[in-house]
Amino acid sequence: MSNLFLDFQIALRSLFQHRRRTFFLVTAIASVTGLLVLLDALSTGVSESMIRAATTLSSGHVNVGGFFKVTSNQCGPVVTEFGKVVEVVEKNVPEMQSFVHRGRGWAKIISDSGSTQAGVTGIEIKNEPDFKRVIRLTSGRIEDLAEPNSLLLFESQVERLKVKVGDAVTLSAMTNRGAANTIDCRVVAIAKDMGLMSKFGVFVPIETTRALYQLRPDTTGAIQIYLQPRYVAKAADIAARLRVTLEKAGYRVMDPDANPFWMKFQTVNREDWTGQKLDVTIWEDEVSFLTWTLKALNVLKLVLLTILIAIVITGIMNTMWIAIRERTREIGTLRAIGMQRWGVLRMFLFESFQMGVLGTVAGALGGSVVAGLLNAAKIKVPLSVQLFLMSDQLNLAVHLPALAQAIVTITLITTLAALYPAYRAARLPPVSAMSHFG
Amino acid sequence: MSRNRITTIATALLVSFIAPGFARPASKQDMVELLKAVDDRQRNQGDWRSVIYMEQKEKNKVDVAYEALVFRRSADQKFIILFTKPKASQGQGYLRLDKNLWFYDPSVGKWERRTERERIGGTNSRRSDFDESRLAEEYDPEDNGEAKLGAYNAQIMTLKGKPDLDLAFPVIKLWVDKESKNVLKRQEFALSGRLLRTSYYPKWKKAYSESRKMEVWYPEEMRFYDEVEKANSTLILVKSVDMKPLEANLFTKAWLESKSR
Repeated sequence: MSNLFLDFQIALRSLFQHRRRTFFLVTAIASVTGLLVLLDALSTGVSESMIRAATTLSSGHVNVGGFFKVTSNQCGPVVTEFGKVVEVVEKNVPEMQSFVHRGRGWAKIISDSGSTQAGVTGIEIKNEPDFKRVIRLTSGRIEDLAEPNSLLLFESQVERLKVKVGDAVTLSAMTNRGAANTIDCRVVAIAKDMGLMSKFGVFVPIETTRALYQLRPDTTGAIQIYLQPRYVAKAADIAARLRVTLEKAGYRVMDPDANPFWMKFQTVNREDWTGQKLDVTIWEDEVSFLTWTLKALNVLKLVLLTILIAIVITGIMNTMWIAIRERTREIGTLRAIGMQRWGVLRMFLFESFQMGVLGTVAGALGGSVVAGLLNAAKIKVPLSVQLFLMSDQLNLAVHLPALAQAIVTITLITTLAALYPAYRAARLPPVSAMSHFG
Repeated sequence: MSRNRITTIATALLVSFIAPGFARPASKQDMVELLKAVDDRQRNQGDWRSVIYMEQKEKNKVDVAYEALVFRRSADQKFIILFTKPKASQGQGYLRLDKNLWFYDPSVGKWERRTERERIGGTNSRRSDFDESRLAEEYDPEDNGEAKLGAYNAQIMTLKGKPDLDLAFPVIKLWVDKESKNVLKRQEFALSGRLLRTSYYPKWKKAYSESRKMEVWYPEEMRFYDEVEKANSTLILVKSVDMKPLEANLFTKAWLESKSR
């Protein structure tokens, strides 16, 4: 044990003795770690923004939606007698924390100054505490969404429609039987954009969607199930189990299809059936058209890291080779006074390990500070970038486990990079090493 | 004055008082007959070919214009719209088969099922605007009296969709020229009662139908005004109408696809 501590001390002193070289290498390692932390923070931020936007605007962690077909070529996103479906869900999904049900539809929104197409979500605002907490209003009162024929818009839609709180707009849509219908709504709240998803969605009381699409009071668009946090990662398994359960309960269930409900109209319309079919999805399915951004970001992160780590490994190995060459006589002397080969190997590995720890800790701290500063600056991003970031402002999420993972991984890589040079140093014969002139 | 003469005068007076009362409100049957006449005048009962020009004006947007060929066959209610201009839309088309409306886009080479209420080419016109008139089959008329519409004496009627029929517009108000029985004006309402679209038919023409061995009427010009988005309007011109029999295999997906190769 004392030998180990001694080797550790020798390695540390050696690092201080070669300050300049150590500084450059530690800086390089710190830069790579900092970049890894920032890229990871960006990727986590995008992922968290996506989950937050998806689970606030259009999805639970698991959803029971479906289609009702009046005729084989006319379908609507409707779940009939949804109370009975809720009973099955409550009995068979113990991982559930809460649920809400929402109406679904698509309509043209027309104001005096403009028009826009949007997904219309019907909600019961009194049963949506999370929605009220997550949505950030710029004007109006979210509680007013309980009033009949009220409407919540997002900032970007307000720009297109040129309306303000209190103004009236018309929602024009086809009912599920194909008849034209309209409803006049009053804008009661305007919310901040939540990335791309909020550009195509508006919220109205669920009674308004029922009136617009001529639906009965026991119908809804989808039951959105929110899981306890520890089960969120298992949403796909829970959805698969729920499909089987619903089938056993006598419901016709659609085959799994990792797409949002509005991309399924074509497929459902082509199928030759009538009546009700349920569709169980998870939040990733409902935003599958956007998750490619996350995948692209992760691939970019991997490519960048591979290149940077390759540079660090080359740097460490080169530095070690130079150190060994410079310190050949020192190695010979240490070996001559009794240091074992294993001791020499350990000493060089310690040097590399110490540089790794210093560099990664500094990099992780630096990356976290930069991420914090960028978040604090609340940098607004242009529309094209919102597509990637799923948020109207730059959002970097730094978490301790991710920092620890970056520190451990890069320290391990830098230590292992020194393994071969250290092994070669340990193999030097003491006599020739002592007589070496470098 | 003889007793007979008094009776005659009394009868004449009674008739003169009562008769106008009977004449003023047309009976429901009269309205049904008028609606049937409106349909019948346009019914070809055979094949149809025409060229249409569509012009769409929308607020804050550039005007768009299309030229297309329309083919239809009354026997099985088959229908094709094939876009020929502009170049970007060339080869695109709608095909109605077995009461299903399909849209084909040659740039992606895919067929998509569309609703019967599809806005043709994104304009404010629907498939039914180019199809045979079936008002009497789909709606029950109510008399709304008469009125002057420009130089014409028009019979106004409100049409309410027959139960169990899925119609795009549950209520239609119609102005029919009393003399020619051509439709002059049409207003379509949503379920909520809101006026959605007003259409004007200022020009009617007739062409010889080989299948009916007589001349049938068609609107040569149609103007649609969006009543919700007030600034939007569509103009349709129907030209080169030909009612000779069309080739048997025309109403197929293969035929429409072949037009863009």
